[in-house]
Amino acid sequence: MRRFFAAALCAVLACGLTACGQGGEQSADFYAMDTTMNVTAYGKGAKNAVGEAQTEVDRLESLLSRTRTDSVVSRLNAGTGDRAVGMEVWGLLSAAEKYSIATNGAFDITIAPVVSAWGFTTDHYQVPDQSELDELLANVGSVHIHLGEESIVTLDDGTQIDLGGIAKGYASDCVEAILAKDGVESAKVALGGNIYVRGSKPDGTAWRVGVQDPENSDGFVGILSLTDAFAVTSGGYQRYFEQNGKRYHHIIDPATGYPAESGLTSVTVVAPGNEEGTISDPGHGTMCDAFSTALFVMGEEKAVEFWRSGAYSFQMVLVTQDGRVLVTDGLKDKFEQEDGSGYAYETISRSPS
Amino acid sequence: MPMKRSPEVRPKPADALVALAVLALAAALALSAWGGGRSGGLTAVISVNGQVTETVNLSRLSGPEVRELNANGYTLHVRLSSDGAEVIDSTCPNQVCVHTGHISRAGQSIVCLPARISVTLSGGAENGVDAVLG
Amino acid sequence: MKLTTKQLTLCAVLTALALALSYVENFLPLSLAVPLPGVKLGLANIVTVFALYALGIGQAFLILIARCTLGALFAGNLNALLFSLLGGLSAMAVMALLSRSKRLSIYGVSVGGAAAHNCGQVAAAVLTLGNTAPLYYLPLLLGVSLFTGALTGFAAGLLFRALEHTSLMKA
Repeated sequence: MRRFFAAALCAVLACGLTACGQGGEQSADFYAMDTTMNVTAYGKGAKNAVGEAQTEVDRLESLLSRTRTDSVVSRLNAGTGDRAVGMEVWGLLSAAEKYSIATNGAFDITIAPVVSAWGFTTDHYQVPDQSELDELLANVGSVHIHLGEESIVTLDDGTQIDLGGIAKGYASDCVEAILAKDGVESAKVALGGNIYVRGSKPDGTAWRVGVQDPENSDGFVGILSLTDAFAVTSGGYQRYFEQNGKRYHHIIDPATGYPAESGLTSVTVVAPGNEEGTISDPGHGTMCDAFSTALFVMGEEKAVEFWRSGAYSFQMVLVTQDGRVLVTDGLKDKFEQEDGSGYAYETISRSPS
Repeated sequence: MPMKRSPEVRPKPADALVALAVLALAAALALSAWGGGRSGGLTAVISVNGQVTETVNLSRLSGPEVRELNANGYTLHVRLSSDGAEVIDSTCPNQVCVHTGHISRAGQSIVCLPARISVTLSGGAENGVDAVLG
Repeated sequence: MKLTTKQLTLCAVLTALALALSYVENFLPLSLAVPLPGVKLGLANIVTVFALYALGIGQAFLILIARCTLGALFAGNLNALLFSLLGGLSAMAVMALLSRSKRLSIYGVSVGGAAAHNCGQVAAAVLTLGNTAPLYYLPLLLGVSLFTGALTGFAAGLLFRALEHTSLMKA
């Protein structure tokens, strides 16, 4: 009798241990790529995945950072002539060029020196002279990046690149691959403002992702219910400086060299998770990151036109300066409007009404 | 073997006591877990360099409190109250934490990158979100 | 604990019955009527309460352990084991205590058991998730347990009445 109860007690205790590795929540908070990051995963494989994700993000930062002098990007910027950048960076530059062309230059990784001229890289803000801007703008444009064979890249003199506009998006694609490899079925990843949710929450409901109201820090314009999706938001309402009563934010329009004034206060781009086994093109996370910036610069009309063209498959939420929230019809059922937000909500459909 | 004991299969008055006890337990839990008012249980989690340094149950605050946070060479003043948190001032160069404004919803957070300080809200009403975009 | 062959067989049959009841109650999704995570009828508690009275706590405990372990193995989900064990053990402990009182009928005992079962499962959820979020559901689950407990009490009562005078319960 005693032996039986002793054995039963061991069994019960052992079950407590299985819960540790098996079904628990594993989470890591860390700073990387100039922002806060959080990776939270559930179920078996979660512990490994979270650790590997953090390692991977650190690896990407060493590779892509413009501020680390020994990164591949920094050496490309510093050097003259051809440089071999490796398949991964070459692939990213190739995707960036594709996005740049598709958005007529609204997305542009060569805008870096202009962003620096405004002081956004050093946090010493200033409004640059027009003559300084003109000089810098001459080196801006995807035409100044030459992608050669064998991952060789050449930059024209004076052209500098900054992958900050897609690095976090690309990192979220890489983290997704790690979660898939480790068999994680439920996870939530926030790399700065780049969100990726995998599967549903452990209780089976969809992940609820709030979209910040640019005009009211306490509120949301709405809540997205997402499963297996990437979502990225761009807006100028947090990172800006004020001079002589005017506000200058950090999203520079490559055409003018000035902060974009397109009538939009925030753009959110949503796309489904990548299909397993496709690593040829950088994934949807990279795409959402690039497009959220590009569409902000492009403004409502061009953004809607771009979405309707169907060249790329994604959904979006646009918040306009004149108080409207536009949601593409693919998100209609997944977007919960926020009562009392004061916005007028509209749905954008495929064919113009 | 004969049945060890035989239960009463017809309900008895004392059963109501069990039901009442369960309801009382439910009520007690509801009060403590759900808190009083809309923002019951709203909690602010303060982290420095990725490590949680303090957790403040905002619904239990009697009045607004100002915390001075120092890290990595920067000083922030954070006002905590029963309806949320905001950074009043900061010595950091980009002032993003101040520009973020007042937050009151679970899932929202204010981050000062140069200081590596973050204030995140959690708990609160059932209508919370799991992540915030923007 | 030495069991006669008859007792052993009875335990085995009751274990199978409890497993079958747990399986069947998935087809009666209470979560459609009551949208709470983890809400269910708890039909397997019928077996636990029956075994408590008819066979005593030792054998009731055996049946519970066997039912939970086999259930988790069949479902291929070891994580579920923590939930069903904490729920089942809490229910049994409370019902064992309550059944000692002569002033309570099987209804009182079952309601107590259902409430304890929910507490045990929420405790398992808190341990698994590492935060106290599941506690938000407990007050509502406890309210539901008044009904599910009464239901299982009624069913167990029927079982007792049917078997009372049969040879099954004689030595």
